[in-house]
Amino acid sequence: MGVQPAIVSAGFSEHASKRSDVNMAELMNEAIEDALNKCNCTIDDIDCVINGNMPAFEGANIPELWMTDHIGAKNKPFMRVTTGGTTGGSVAIAAYYAVASGLYDTVLATSFEQQSCGSTTVGLSSVALGEVSIYLQLGYDFEKLRRNMGAGAAIGIGAYQAINYMRRSHCTEEDLARVVVQNRHNAAKNWWTHLKMPNITIEQILETPYISYPLRFGMVTPASDGSCAMIYTTEENAKKFTDTPVYVNGVASVSNENAIVAPEASGCGQIDPCEQLSATISAKLAYEQAGISFPEKEIDYVEVYSPFPNQEFMWLERLGLFEENTAPMQYREGVTALDGDLPVNCSGGVNSTNAIGASAMERVAEAALQIMGKAGNQSPKEIHTAIGHGWGGTINLITLSVLADQPRRKYKGGI
Amino acid sequence: MVRLEYIKKQYTRTRRVHGNWYLASYQYKFNVKRINQCLEHLRKGELVGLKCRSCNTVSFPPRLICPKCLKMPDEWVHLRDTATVATFSGTYAQEAGDTEPRPYPVVAIRQDGSDTTWLANLPEGYDFFKVYVGMPLKVKWAEDKKGDFSDIEYYEPIEDPSIEMNKKEEAEK
Amino acid sequence: MEKVGIVGYYQVKPETDIQMSRPEMIFYAARGALDYAGLKRDDLTTVISATNDYYDGKTISNCFTVEAGGAYLKDESKVEMDGAHAVNYGLMRCLSGHHKLALVWGASQPSTFYYSCIRVLENDPTFDRPINLLNDYTAAALGMRAYMNKFGVSVEDIAKVGVKNHKNAAKNPLAWNEAQLPDITVEDILNSEMLSNPVTKLMHALPCDGATALVLAPEGLAKKIIDDPVWITGVGLCQETYYLGDRDLSISVSMEKAAQKAYKLAGINDPRKDIDVVELFEHSAYEELVLAEALGLCEKGKGSSLSSEINGEIPINPSGGNIGAFTPCATGITRIIEAVKQIQGEAKGYQVKDANRAIAHGQIGFCAQNNIVFILEGGKR
Ligand SMILES: [Zn+2]
Repeated sequence: MGVQPAIVSAGFSEHASKRSDVNMAELMNEAIEDALNKCNCTIDDIDCVINGNMPAFEGANIPELWMTDHIGAKNKPFMRVTTGGTTGGSVAIAAYYAVASGLYDTVLATSFEQQSCGSTTVGLSSVALGEVSIYLQLGYDFEKLRRNMGAGAAIGIGAYQAINYMRRSHCTEEDLARVVVQNRHNAAKNWWTHLKMPNITIEQILETPYISYPLRFGMVTPASDGSCAMIYTTEENAKKFTDTPVYVNGVASVSNENAIVAPEASGCGQIDPCEQLSATISAKLAYEQAGISFPEKEIDYVEVYSPFPNQEFMWLERLGLFEENTAPMQYREGVTALDGDLPVNCSGGVNSTNAIGASAMERVAEAALQIMGKAGNQSPKEIHTAIGHGWGGTINLITLSVLADQPRRKYKGGI
Repeated sequence: MVRLEYIKKQYTRTRRVHGNWYLASYQYKFNVKRINQCLEHLRKGELVGLKCRSCNTVSFPPRLICPKCLKMPDEWVHLRDTATVATFSGTYAQEAGDTEPRPYPVVAIRQDGSDTTWLANLPEGYDFFKVYVGMPLKVKWAEDKKGDFSDIEYYEPIEDPSIEMNKKEEAEK
Repeated sequence: MEKVGIVGYYQVKPETDIQMSRPEMIFYAARGALDYAGLKRDDLTTVISATNDYYDGKTISNCFTVEAGGAYLKDESKVEMDGAHAVNYGLMRCLSGHHKLALVWGASQPSTFYYSCIRVLENDPTFDRPINLLNDYTAAALGMRAYMNKFGVSVEDIAKVGVKNHKNAAKNPLAWNEAQLPDITVEDILNSEMLSNPVTKLMHALPCDGATALVLAPEGLAKKIIDDPVWITGVGLCQETYYLGDRDLSISVSMEKAAQKAYKLAGINDPRKDIDVVELFEHSAYEELVLAEALGLCEKGKGSSLSSEINGEIPINPSGGNIGAFTPCATGITRIIEAVKQIQGEAKGYQVKDANRAIAHGQIGFCAQNNIVFILEGGKR
C-alpha cells in the first residue's frame, strides 16, 4: 500500500523586502519556471497543483482562484493547504501524500508570500483578535492587555522561548549572536536570499537595541517577498525527469496546544514554551517512517525553521540531533558550519529570509537541493540524508520531512 | 548600530493600484454560561478551575474542552491564591513619562493547583530585571469586585524560600 | 484505487445564529463523529480541518481549534477550501498507508460576519475588486442568464429546482429552519426578493452556522469498526480558469473532467444507470442543472426535464441540497454524509429506494470554478 514519492526539482524566486516589480501570480511563476528548468519536466507533465500562503498578509482570500492560469493549474486538480507559518511544510507534505496515495503521479507544490502587498502587522494581530475581544469583555484592562499581547506576538513568543532556553542551558547572548552571524554569512553565498551580510560580526549584532528581551534588532528575521516551488513524483517517473532524484521517506505535522491564552476552548497548557512536545513527536513519527534509529548519526544535513536564533538550538535538540542543552557548544566548535560535521541552514535559514508562507517549504527544498548537489551554497560534505523542518501557528504546529538519496527500506508501520 | 544592507533595485515594469484592505468586522461568539460560574466565584474572592474527570487536568482560566480526552470538563475545583511565573518576557515600550524605551515585564503565570498558564500582570512599575522563572506570586484582589477578571488586580511577588535555601547550601560548602 | 470507508459522521444542526461558540460547535461535531464510530480520541492518527481564515476572522484559524477538533498531538493539517476537499486530503492520507483513522471536519459561523462582503475578497485584487461589480449574486446571475440563453430554459424551470430543494429540506430534520418550506410554489420563488436579476433570494443558497465531521478508515480497518461502512471508490478534482469571460458559464468543464476521473476510478461506464442518488453543492438553483448535465446524467440543456424528485429517476439533493442548508466550509462534508445516509438507509423521511451508489460533490469559487466529485458505494448488491 502506498507509493514511494520523490522530489525531482525545487525552484525559488528572488527574495527581497519589496518585490514591487511583480504581482503575486508573477512572483509565483518565477519559482515555478526555476523548478521546471532544473529538470526534464514540463508543465504538461504536472497532474495536480497544491499551493498555499497566509491569506491575511495580502488581503486576498483563496488567491489561487484567480491565479489558476499563472500557476499552471488550469483544468487540473488543485488543492489549497494553509497552516500559518508552517504553510510551506504542510503543502510539501500534502504533495507527498498526493503522490503516496497513488491518486496523482506528478505534483507541483508551490507556496509564496508577498508581504509588501498588505500589512504584516495587521495580519499577525488578527491571530489573537477574537481572543482579545473576549478578554476585554471579561474585564481586562486594555492598556495592560495591549502590552501583554505586544509581547505575545511572534517576537514575544520567540522571547519566551529564548528566556526558558537560556535558563535551561546557560547560553549567553553571544551564543545567540553567533547563530545569526553564521546564518547571515551563509545567506550571502546563496543567490535567492534576502539579508546578505558577508562581513557582519558578533559585536556588531550585540550593539543593536533590544526588541523584546533577550532578542535584539540584529537577531530577528526580516519580512520578505518570495516564492518557492517543488516537483514531487513517483519513484519510476523520477528517473525520467532527473539524474539525481531525492526520495521523501518520512513526513509528520504534529500540532500541540495553542499558546495564546484564550478563555475559550484553546489556551496555554504549555508551561515551558521550549519543551516543544510537538517537535519531539513529529521527529519520532517521521524517523520511524524513514527507518532512522539514530538521527544524530544518520542525518547529514539539517534545515530548521528558526526566525530567532535561540530556536535553532532548541529545534536541533528536540529533533534528536544534539544532546539536550549542548547545541550552543556545538556552534562554538563550528560543528554546524558549512564545512562542519553537521551543516545547518547553509541556505541562510529563516533568520535571513522569511517569506512566511514559503519559508517552511524552502527548508525542504534546500535540503533536497543539498542532497542533489545543486544548492546555491553547497556544503562540501557528501550528503545522503537530510531533514527539512517547519514551525508555525502560535509555537504549536510543526512540520517535518525526511529526505534521502535512497528510497526507504520496506515500511513496516501503519496498519 | 549596524546598518542593514537591503537589496535595492529600480522597479519600473509595474504600476500600483490602490486597494483598501478591510479585514471586515466580526462579532465573535463565546460561551458565557460556563465562564460566568467562574466569574461569580471571582466576585466572592475565590478562584476556581475546571477539572477534567478522565485525566484530572485542571485549567485556570477555565477551559471549555479538555484537549487530551476531547471531552467537556464539568467539575469545578477551588484553587489556592498563590501562583508561579512559568515564563516571562519584556516589551521595550516607551510609555507617557518615559524618557527612553524601558522594558515592561510580561509574565505567563501558572496558578498553583492548575495545569495551564495565562498572561497576567505584576504590580505597576515592577522592575523587569527582578523577574525570574519559578518566582512565587500571590493574588492581590481589587477593592471593589465587579465579577470579572479585573477582580485580580495583579499578582504580588512574595518571599521565595528557595533563595534562602540556596544561600544556606552555598554557605555550608 | 483502494477503497476507503466512512465509519462515522455527525452534523450539528445548522442555525441562523447558533448559540454556541466556534470551538464548542466544532467539539460537538468531532465528538459526535467519534461516538458514532465508537472510537476514542486516542485511536485517531490524523485530523484534517476545512476552515477559512477570513470566515473565522482569525489568522491561522486552525491553531485555535487544535483542542476542539481533537488534533492535540496528532498529525494535523488544514485545507482552506470546501469540506469535500478536506475529505480528499484525508482520503489521500488513508491511501498512503501511513494513517489508519482520519477525522475530517469543517465549520464556519456566517452569523459573525457579512458573508457576501468576505466573498468579494476572493476576487482578483487588481481588476475585479476595484470595479466592485463581481460578487456572489452577480456571478450567479451571469451564469444563470448564460445557461437560460444558450439552451432556451425559462426562469420557471430553474425556480422548480428551488421548489424541489426547499420541499426536500422540509423533510430533512437537519436542514436549516429558514429553508424548510413544504408549501412553496414557483410563484413564491419568483416573487421573493431580487438579489441580482434573474437570481431571487429563494433560488440562492444563503449561509448559516454549522459544523460537520466524518471519520475515514482504510478498507481492512473500516469493517472492524462498523458493520456497514460506506466506501469511497472514486474521486475526481478539477479547477478551471477564473475569469468568467474566458469560460462558457452554461456548461462546467471542470465538473466534466472531475466526473470522468471519478467514474474511471470507480469503474462506472453509464452514470445514468449506475448512479442511484446525487448530492450536489449548488450555490444557486441553476448550478444544479449545469452540474447534473456535466455529470452526464442527462444531455446538455435538458437538466430541467430530468426527473430528480426523491421518488424520481435519478434523485438529486433529496436532503434539500445546499439551498436546504449552506454552511460554508462544512457543506461539502454535509453532502457526503447525506449520500452516506441514503446508502445506509438512515435518511428517515427522505429516503431514496434501493440506493447503493451515490455521487457527492463539493466546490469553491464563483460559478463552480473548482469541483470535486466523490463516488460512494454501499455493501449491498
Ligand atoms: Zn481530560
